[in-house]
Amino acid sequence: MKKTSQPVVTTTKSGLAVSQEAAAVYKARNKAKLGAEIKRHAGVYLLAIIPVAYYIVFKYVPIWNAQIAFKDFMARQGVLGSAWVGLANFKEFFNSFYFWSLIRNTVMYSVGKLLLSLPLSIILAIAIYECTRPILRKIVQTLAYLPHFLSWVIMYGILLALLAPGDGVVNDVIKAIRGTNVGFDFLTSTKAFPWVVLFSDAWKEMGWSAIIFIAALMGIDGSLFEAAMVEGANSWQRVWYITLPAIRPVIVTVLILKLGTILDAGFNQIFMLYSAPVYSVADIIDTWVYRSGLLEFKFGLATAVGLFKGVFGMLLVFLSNFISKKVSETGIF
Amino acid sequence: MKKLLTALFVVLACVTLFFGCKKDNASSSTAAPAASTAAASSSSSSSASSSSKSAKLTPISVLYGASVTEAGALPSDWPGYDVLKNELGLDVTFTALPSSANDQAQRIQAMGAADNLPDIFQVDRNVLTNLVRQGLVAEVDDMYAMMPHRTEMLYDENSIAHTTINGHSYGLASPGSIAGNEGLLIRKDWLDNLGLDVPTTLDELYDVMVAFTKDDPDGNGRNDTYGYGAYIETNTSDKGYPGSRLLPILGAFGVEGIWDMTEENAGLNIYKPEFYDAIAFIKKMHDEGIIDPNWLSYGKDDFRAAWKQGRFGIMKEQNAAYASESNYAPFDKNFPDGEWIIIDAPIGPNGDQSIGPWDMSYRIYAISQNAVDEGKTEAITKFLEWMSSDEGYMLAGFGEEGVNYVLDENGLPVAGDLGDMSYTGSKGQVYTQLRNMVFYNGDMELASRYPTYTTESGKEMSALKALREMQALTWTPQVGVSTLPTPSADVQRYYEQSLAEFITGGRALTPENWQAFIDQFNRIGGKAWNDQGVQWMKDNNLLTK
Repeated sequence: MKKTSQPVVTTTKSGLAVSQEAAAVYKARNKAKLGAEIKRHAGVYLLAIIPVAYYIVFKYVPIWNAQIAFKDFMARQGVLGSAWVGLANFKEFFNSFYFWSLIRNTVMYSVGKLLLSLPLSIILAIAIYECTRPILRKIVQTLAYLPHFLSWVIMYGILLALLAPGDGVVNDVIKAIRGTNVGFDFLTSTKAFPWVVLFSDAWKEMGWSAIIFIAALMGIDGSLFEAAMVEGANSWQRVWYITLPAIRPVIVTVLILKLGTILDAGFNQIFMLYSAPVYSVADIIDTWVYRSGLLEFKFGLATAVGLFKGVFGMLLVFLSNFISKKVSETGIF
Repeated sequence: MKKLLTALFVVLACVTLFFGCKKDNASSSTAAPAASTAAASSSSSSSASSSSKSAKLTPISVLYGASVTEAGALPSDWPGYDVLKNELGLDVTFTALPSSANDQAQRIQAMGAADNLPDIFQVDRNVLTNLVRQGLVAEVDDMYAMMPHRTEMLYDENSIAHTTINGHSYGLASPGSIAGNEGLLIRKDWLDNLGLDVPTTLDELYDVMVAFTKDDPDGNGRNDTYGYGAYIETNTSDKGYPGSRLLPILGAFGVEGIWDMTEENAGLNIYKPEFYDAIAFIKKMHDEGIIDPNWLSYGKDDFRAAWKQGRFGIMKEQNAAYASESNYAPFDKNFPDGEWIIIDAPIGPNGDQSIGPWDMSYRIYAISQNAVDEGKTEAITKFLEWMSSDEGYMLAGFGEEGVNYVLDENGLPVAGDLGDMSYTGSKGQVYTQLRNMVFYNGDMELASRYPTYTTESGKEMSALKALREMQALTWTPQVGVSTLPTPSADVQRYYEQSLAEFITGGRALTPENWQAFIDQFNRIGGKAWNDQGVQWMKDNNLLTK
């Protein structure tokens, strides 16, 4: 009896069982379709060349040099020629007298900024979005963005003018209220300094951070608000039941991405503002690396700390993404 | 059309990026310092005829400390370029360092880490030590003989010792800022207004500070003055914490600076009981508000703006920062009847007195090992020798005769009627950006740098006179203190943080807390730092009687 040859069956990504010939045709069509798509959007792909090149040159290529975290880096010998020292650079960091203090301060400022700046940015974005007077909206937006473009050197000058114990504007008010000539030194008090850092950062970055939320708000279907108004919902109820749920995915995405840089507490800001009296609450990982690593030519140590921060941040991103997907079915990947 | 324009834009951007990043091999065989925007090269001023010879020019890159940091870079039409190119066959590229010491260290070490140091660069001794350990800096022992005139003018046994590490000289150290150029100043007009005498002891100084704070010395009817003004100007070689501006106070207790370099008490001053007393005194000044309360937040510029605004009546200041024409003018304008006088340091409870430790100050120029490996030693010494020749010295120090300076009847360079283009003018001063590479603090230089002038309110002022008065004050000789070992960053932080907390009240200043501080300081490496320092003093014969 003649045996009938069975067609070879394969399975597509969508789980559909098809013959091998059909699969080949399917692949070829997909390939052609991809080529056509690329050709169709050639301009956009060309535009992507510069950012992709940037990431390759400045983000991926340096990963190769991260090996100096495990080496006694000697510039003349180069990255490959320097001797391996195992985990010595990491041990130097972990055994630093100030290790736990650095971790505590860094996490305190990162989390503090997250808790303060994120809600403020969302509130500002909603306020701008809800504003019905276009001119006022533009003025507020511009004024809110402006501090982002000031360097921390300038910001320090402004803060000094506001907070200096001798003749700062805030202290002038305090002195007038108290009826004394004694001001309060916000910048050298261990109690006040963390708040100065958190609020000055919120002031500087709140407007800029609000942009992404404003963009998300622009994407909400206007008919939802109209329907809610017809149903008698007031402004607060519209914000609570429509606006916030609508931008929840963006909030979660921003939150998860920020967790990736949880050990970056803002070097420029702290470096400009801190001084010896507040080292105990001001010194963060990056300022320590600057003093112990860069100024002492310990580039291996500086790289080891950078690697530690990167790995820790990546783990947090994975963890928070996992939890977010479990709890709210929203994640970034 | 839209797509075409987009594609065109992308291609243009890529081409710009490509050529922007491309190394310019034509101008130099070595990588030039990163901040090319601040650099000027002899190529830019070359004449058409000399461009044909460019193949024979030896490229030399120089990273220099500008003499006027707030002014622009050396202009491309500086006449010295033509001499260097046409007569010496050198294509020299000059790039200015940042003004802050930390920024300089960071910049040079980053270049070192990339093994991309310029051929000649200014560097401080701590950074030099790091670079020597890395093998990035060349020995210069043989170079002194190759530039006899410059060596005679600028280098001596002490300067060579300053850059000697493990038996070899690793840098060319020329005289830096003038030794003993700071002094204690007090507002004479305020003393007169309150009927007070010039204080000579610490107790008298304290009383004057209180009076300046509480008795309205400027008579404006407002409670807006303080006794003493300062800012935190610290380092780990001689100044320590709370820094240079309070050294006359520490000197009254015999603990000026970080180190005691006498044979009988060699070591860190922090171990002396008098240091506790000095910190207690400064804490009292802080608590009672007789020191400007902004002192912990001030930077140098804030501090200098403050005394010009009449905020305090006693300070330690540098001669030119106080008395040079441009620096004194705002004070003169604000207070036409105001007058500062230079006084000696106050005498303390045990008879001690000092403005601060006194050391020779050097400016080090190091040569990269790469430059020597590339065979540039001879070209470098030729360049430096020319810089110290009569022609190079005048071009670098004062610019071009008739344009930036004229000679007076004594043959000294003076600004004359050259206005803005004179070497002291706003436009002309950039032509003297290299003067720190050639100046040796001779009489002619000082007379030219610090001329006597009359202020708008009619006062006769001279930064040179102020300098001479300051140098005559009571100083503590500590030659070689800047070569002593420095602490680790953690020890330094602990030292500074603890003293700051004691002064501001963050930690109670009690004998028990002080002892706990010293014990912890010793445990984390302070004792080792002390022992290394004492050993270094002994090994290098730095101890004094």
